[in-house]
Amino acid sequence: MKTGIPPKNETNMKALRQIGALIRKDLELQFRSKETLVLIFVFSVLVVLIFAFAFGPIFPERVERCKLTASVLWTAFVFAGIIILNRSFVVERSDSALHGIRLTGVDASNLYLSKVVSNVASLFLLEIVIIPIALQFLDLLNGVTVGVFLKLLGVVSIGTLGFCAVGVLLAGMSTSTNGGESLLSVILLPLVVPIIIGGAKCTVSLLVTGGVDNWFWLNLLIGCSLVFLASAYLLAGAVIEE
Amino acid sequence: MRLHASHLTKEFGHRVIVKNATFSVQPGEVVTIFGPNGAGKTTLIKILATLLKPTSGDLEIEGRDAIADSLEVRSALGVVIHEMLAYPMFSPYENLKFFGQMYGVQGLEDRATTLLTEVGLQRFTHEPLHIFSRGMTQRFMIARALLHHPSVLLFDEPFSGLDASAKQLVLRRVAEEQQNSKGIVITTHNTELGYLVGTRFFFMIDGRLEEVARKDEITAETLLLMYEARLPL
Repeated sequence: MKTGIPPKNETNMKALRQIGALIRKDLELQFRSKETLVLIFVFSVLVVLIFAFAFGPIFPERVERCKLTASVLWTAFVFAGIIILNRSFVVERSDSALHGIRLTGVDASNLYLSKVVSNVASLFLLEIVIIPIALQFLDLLNGVTVGVFLKLLGVVSIGTLGFCAVGVLLAGMSTSTNGGESLLSVILLPLVVPIIIGGAKCTVSLLVTGGVDNWFWLNLLIGCSLVFLASAYLLAGAVIEE
Repeated sequence: MRLHASHLTKEFGHRVIVKNATFSVQPGEVVTIFGPNGAGKTTLIKILATLLKPTSGDLEIEGRDAIADSLEVRSALGVVIHEMLAYPMFSPYENLKFFGQMYGVQGLEDRATTLLTEVGLQRFTHEPLHIFSRGMTQRFMIARALLHHPSVLLFDEPFSGLDASAKQLVLRRVAEEQQNSKGIVITTHNTELGYLVGTRFFFMIDGRLEEVARKDEITAETLLLMYEARLPL
């Protein structure tokens, strides 16, 4: 029977195994919680519909429609993302499951990484569904090729990574306080402004021209996402352990 | 030595919850800490479990600094506290499987099934935890605490809310783990059961830990009288 503290050379394999188990657990919990899935889907579709009906049924010219679509998409992603981030930590805080995880000896940075991956996966899945719906309702679906759609998914995935990178850290902090769910939007939104602007600009560019015409916005999006990921990874230990 | 706490103190703002607690636990020893509600027992257990950092003092678990190397020592700990430390949407089996993967338990499926049978939850293996009663949850938590063969067990009020058979289960399980040379710390305000299960006794009143006696030095009646005399009015 094996008891006590494992030797240090087992640490790397253990970390990989733990990250894998945490991601599987997070996805399982998110997909099992059907009310959350329905909530974020209905919310996102509602955002698209409100914009579509407010500006439709006779839409302005194509360029204006592309700008409108980019706004609609990023608005829906940001608010659905906040719901997903909040839910992902509320599940950990209720019944102190997070303490249970900490007791397994998992490094807080690995716990953070697994949360980023699972939240990015959930939000990205939603985005794959919502993008065609938004394009259809805003009368752009016919003009978007498969190539442009894939580039759009690429831009959206980078933005989602940056959003979740900082969002997971802040959700970890805010859900430990009273009224933390509303606090998250207040502290997260100002921080992710560069990601939203960069993502929206790239989305407009892709929908209008089929490519990125101004690399500044894509560089801003990628740069901010990487900086957020690296700095949040380094801060995760202090946030989760304290 | 399984665990050695030296001058542990925990302050929350101006309130000192744990005052200068010093004690140790040897292999095969069951330390029972008696104290009324609000005495600081849960805070002490959370410090020993490395879930809370003490304001001052030292803690060694299995010879390692549990405050500086908390990640390394946690795998040596089996903890039962008031919170479930698990996912209510998962079944006991799913929870044990997940936590077993996190700990790297070998032969996990057999281990989970065996433990759930031992704690009497074999009929509820695949039911979600959120439908469980307090007693059933406590049984699950004992299984969860034992899952990875920890060498130190920390039980905070393990008898509260349990029926007679569940109390017997806790007593029997603690005795078995004691036989396996584990170091065990139990907090309770139930002097009868605490005496039955323990080998060395402490009182914790108003955050102060005071060693009382070893089991062979004191009867249950004397322990009860001493405890009642110490309780604040």
